[in-house]
Amino acid sequence: MSDRPLSPLPRLPDEEPPTTEQVATTPAVETPERARRTDPRLLRRQWSAGHALVICVVALALGLLLNAPGVHKSAYNKPDGWQRDLALAFTGPLADLSHALLLDRPRIGVQALFGRSGADEIDTEIALPATPVPRNAKQTKKPTGSPKTPTAPRKVAFTPTKKLRLWVAGDSLVIAPGFAVVRAAGSSPVIESVGGVDGRVATGLTRPDVFNWFEHIRKQMKLLRPRAVVLGFGGNDDKAYMTGLPDDVTIDTFGGAAWRREYARRVGGMMDVISRAGGFVVWIGLPQTKSAEQTRRFDIVNAVAQKEAREREGRAAFIDTYTMFAGDDGGYTDYLADPNGALRKVRAGDGVHFEREGGDIIAREVLKALNRTYDLTSWRKKRSA
Amino acid sequence: MLFPTATFALFFLIVLPLSWLTMPWPHRWRPFIIVASYVFYAWWDWRFVFLLAGCTLWNQVLAVRIWRAGAQSQKRALLVLALAGNLAVLGYFKYYDFFVTSGSSVASLVGVEMPLEVKSIVLPVGISFYTFMAISYVVDAYRGAFEPTTLERFAVYLSFFPHLVAGPIVRPSELIPQFYRPRDPRRVDTSRAFYLIATGLFKKVVIANYLASSIVDEVFAAPGQHSSLEILIAVYAYAVQIYADFSGYTDIAIGIALLLGFSFPQNFDSPYAATSVQDFWRRWHMTLSRWLRDYVYIPLGGNRGRRPILTYRNLLLTMLIGGLWHGAAWTFVVWGGLHGAALVGERLWGERRGASARAPTGRARWRSRILTFHFVCLAWIFFRSDSFGSAWEMLGGLFTGWGEASPLVTSGVLLAIAVGIGSQYLPARIPRLVMARFSRLPVLGQATVLALALMLTSAMGPEGVAPFIYFQF
Repeated sequence: MSDRPLSPLPRLPDEEPPTTEQVATTPAVETPERARRTDPRLLRRQWSAGHALVICVVALALGLLLNAPGVHKSAYNKPDGWQRDLALAFTGPLADLSHALLLDRPRIGVQALFGRSGADEIDTEIALPATPVPRNAKQTKKPTGSPKTPTAPRKVAFTPTKKLRLWVAGDSLVIAPGFAVVRAAGSSPVIESVGGVDGRVATGLTRPDVFNWFEHIRKQMKLLRPRAVVLGFGGNDDKAYMTGLPDDVTIDTFGGAAWRREYARRVGGMMDVISRAGGFVVWIGLPQTKSAEQTRRFDIVNAVAQKEAREREGRAAFIDTYTMFAGDDGGYTDYLADPNGALRKVRAGDGVHFEREGGDIIAREVLKALNRTYDLTSWRKKRSA
Repeated sequence: MLFPTATFALFFLIVLPLSWLTMPWPHRWRPFIIVASYVFYAWWDWRFVFLLAGCTLWNQVLAVRIWRAGAQSQKRALLVLALAGNLAVLGYFKYYDFFVTSGSSVASLVGVEMPLEVKSIVLPVGISFYTFMAISYVVDAYRGAFEPTTLERFAVYLSFFPHLVAGPIVRPSELIPQFYRPRDPRRVDTSRAFYLIATGLFKKVVIANYLASSIVDEVFAAPGQHSSLEILIAVYAYAVQIYADFSGYTDIAIGIALLLGFSFPQNFDSPYAATSVQDFWRRWHMTLSRWLRDYVYIPLGGNRGRRPILTYRNLLLTMLIGGLWHGAAWTFVVWGGLHGAALVGERLWGERRGASARAPTGRARWRSRILTFHFVCLAWIFFRSDSFGSAWEMLGGLFTGWGEASPLVTSGVLLAIAVGIGSQYLPARIPRLVMARFSRLPVLGQATVLALALMLTSAMGPEGVAPFIYFQF
């Protein structure tokens, strides 16, 4: 084959299949008969490949300026590392320039029009109770009076007329078990799901800039008034990076003493926020995953959450999914046998998340934890008596 | 690499000029585009690049041998070998665990131990699409319909990144001849390309993602928790979501190919305006429909059997295979079976009416459209549900919870559904007029319009990039 460039040839009629969209575009190639048939207003002008490239480059550059606040937030939300540093170094000045030229206004206007005002704001403030709820302060009285009083639910009875309000929230790992809990709640006459399943992908407690759960949970507790809150966090928290740190705190490595202290403060603080609002926390622990390295990191996250739940006995319970989803050899498995011996897929293809049937297994444990804390059955006895 | 990401935008800004710069030298362009396509594929998981390369070599060697074989029996033996290889790969990666778990369910019923164990195999993205394209290549060689090309051209055909992971399923005769001649850099249909990319992005990022996160995922996950109205609207919303998601992806794919100088066949043609199930399949995932027709239905005998029952059998089998192609689950098989049964029913009805059967007009046409749309929606319930229990719960919930509160049915959801369905009835002249007007704008004007479209899509869409539904198929 020679290196001589080939000159482009006109397209052959049989080279490409005709489509309903195909119209002739350049008047020069229009036959008089075809031109008569085609409305001239529908004729498209064709451009060169060079023009196409220029349009792409200019459109993307202008699009970057118009979307600069969102692009900057996306860069901020990236995992820690050189890519994030590089992205921030580029998008920070870009956002400033866009703001100075008022080019961010159309985006702000469109967001306001569709009820998404403030979607590009970066919020890293963590609002936790100034005074933690006393450890192991298991209470036996029904919470009354001001929600600011640190109280815990006692074995309060719920009935079909006075239902236990239940809310599920967390990262993507809580979605399948959360919906299983909601389904189970639907079949119980004494449990009422409020707020559905608030599962948010790629969020956690280490990055309030990505999604500020501390703020969100505080608001939702006031709005939904749940008495049981099923939480699942940590799937995205196994990193040596946190935002929203107090001024005097630095995180050295993932799982180090400083990291554990700060993560425990956040987990415990969140449990306390819920306790103060009269809710009981059921914390779904992280399962083992297909990756041994990730499983090791999840162990560290679990250890912190389990310890915080244990210290709040009576106000929080920890569901250990690690052993619940272990295979015959104690390691990771996608499938578990049901009581009849048939294999059921319990883990998603990514080796991390749960399938519907896996969610059902966790939901059963969540209901057991709720039964231990609340009286959900005595109404039956009273009714039959 | 997903199309609506900054990574892909950067990748494409590098590939676009280099593709056109190397285009006059085909022996340079082809290796370049193969490398670019493999990089695109490897971004997801580099290990499966070897699977793609192996699939390319296997099918090329056998297609050439089939073409050159003298005796028909030899051709047939080679074809069987080629198909067995392709189906074995697809079966292993996509269906192995499905067969083992299905087998274990049956075994547990009769009290027998299942000898095979599940392997938790990762499904290589796009395998269903490129395996079908490879099959059409060897079958066309067997039929003498298309002479195998060089290994390099076949590798471009199979791996060309715009169609690689989710179609459209392009035939060898449609794409390979385009590799023989450098594309003309002076005449690129930019307005159609940009129109398809912009509308495809909007459909995926705004409509599909919004409906999924606002109502569909929540209702399908726990149907028992929702009112009949919410379930009904969630079913309509899913119909719009899957259309916007998949047609959005193929629109972007077709637009990107056009910018590189290549044309792909149309994949969607207002499917929810169909007046029958047969008409629906002429408009929905058109490249898969004709693949099933040419490589499954016709080889089974098509409608040329001596007895009508054979035609019905062929229709049903084709749709069952089409259902199973979509996913390794019995719910997909039922979805295919429902469509197959509807096609058989329509054929029976047509035969009964005989000569009096005419295409519906006026009110009858609207009745047919509404009926077809609702049948398609009913079948989508099985397609979307992750189990039969969930599907039955959805169906039961359609009748048992009227009058209950329906907080998920918001004006935004209804608007998105109306836009999704209403767009199917837009006269074809309007998009053509928009494209023509756009093409006459100066370069800066076109770039500004596109930048504004990007801004609207980004500002209106939910945060993050959800994967395309058809990636899992």
